Amino acid sequence: MPDLENEIRNMIAEIVEKDPSEVTPDAKFFEELGMDSMMALEIMAGMEKKYKITIPEEKLTKLTTLRETVAVAKEYLEKTNA
Amino acid sequence: MLFKDKVAIVTGGSRGIGRSLVLMLAEEGADVAFTYAKSVQEAEALSAQVKQSGRRALALQMDAADFDKAKELIEEVKAGLGRLDLLVNNAGIIKDKALMMMTKEDWLSVIDTNLNGTFNVTRNAIVTFLKQKSGAIVNITSVSGVAGMSRQTNYAASKAGIIGFTKSLAREVAPYNIRVNAVAPGFIETDMLAGLKEEFKEELKKRIPLSRLGRVEDVAGAVKFLLSDAAGFITGQTIIVDGGLFIQ
Repeated sequence: MPDLENEIRNMIAEIVEKDPSEVTPDAKFFEELGMDSMMALEIMAGMEKKYKITIPEEKLTKLTTLRETVAVAKEYLEKTNA
Repeated sequence: MLFKDKVAIVTGGSRGIGRSLVLMLAEEGADVAFTYAKSVQEAEALSAQVKQSGRRALALQMDAADFDKAKELIEEVKAGLGRLDLLVNNAGIIKDKALMMMTKEDWLSVIDTNLNGTFNVTRNAIVTFLKQKSGAIVNITSVSGVAGMSRQTNYAASKAGIIGFTKSLAREVAPYNIRVNAVAPGFIETDMLAGLKEEFKEELKKRIPLSRLGRVEDVAGAVKFLLSDAAGFITGQTIIVDGGLFIQ
């Protein structure tokens, strides 16, 4: 789902105030992109709102790279559509 | 009505100050979930009273010291009442003793219920507040935690801890439009004072500038203010409700 990845990349770029090109699939949010825990929460809340899904709070710690974040979004999109 | 259609949680809600908080919130239009440790009959009667006033009530038996139960509490409130806007951490116990007579259990149980209990419920509620970018929290502390009180090293430590928790969390979540304050009651006529001798109470009244013991409604009034939009620019503060006994 390339669209999903792009949409989430743009959302993350906006929150960390970086150019989307810097948000590569494996760029580490905290170490490389200067994210803090509140920004991670904003990403989670942003995905919940945009895709009308509910992501359990425990998944917050999984949101460490774009690749991981897209995987979490996919997982809950599939659960919602199932 | 100050809290029309909002959803509130009060821990330790079946008796004393907690009970007056539940009734105040329902009177002001909120649906109220409250926890209680042992007082099943009081909890049922209070639920009925809230429902009579036309609001929804949810009574949950739980030990504030139990983190996993606190998690269940938040989930049940969101599922049962649909949202969460206001939180009052009120559950508290005393085990007054001179330090030389205090056991490790006396110390730990008071810290566990009062201080860790405040962490447990707030930790489980905070993500909901952060996501919705709104919320108000009031923690019930005590003048004991502000001024100190002999035979209450455990209780005073737990209550002073709550004040530090309140200040730090207030700074942390202010950018998310969440306010966190505390109320420190002095001598309020509840079961907690039942152990005091009448002569001591009379002596106390002479020392309190407003010449009486506090009523639970006095505390509820301060909590009502801090939870409401009238206190919209106040966060990280502790309001002392003690009739002037510990004016600083």
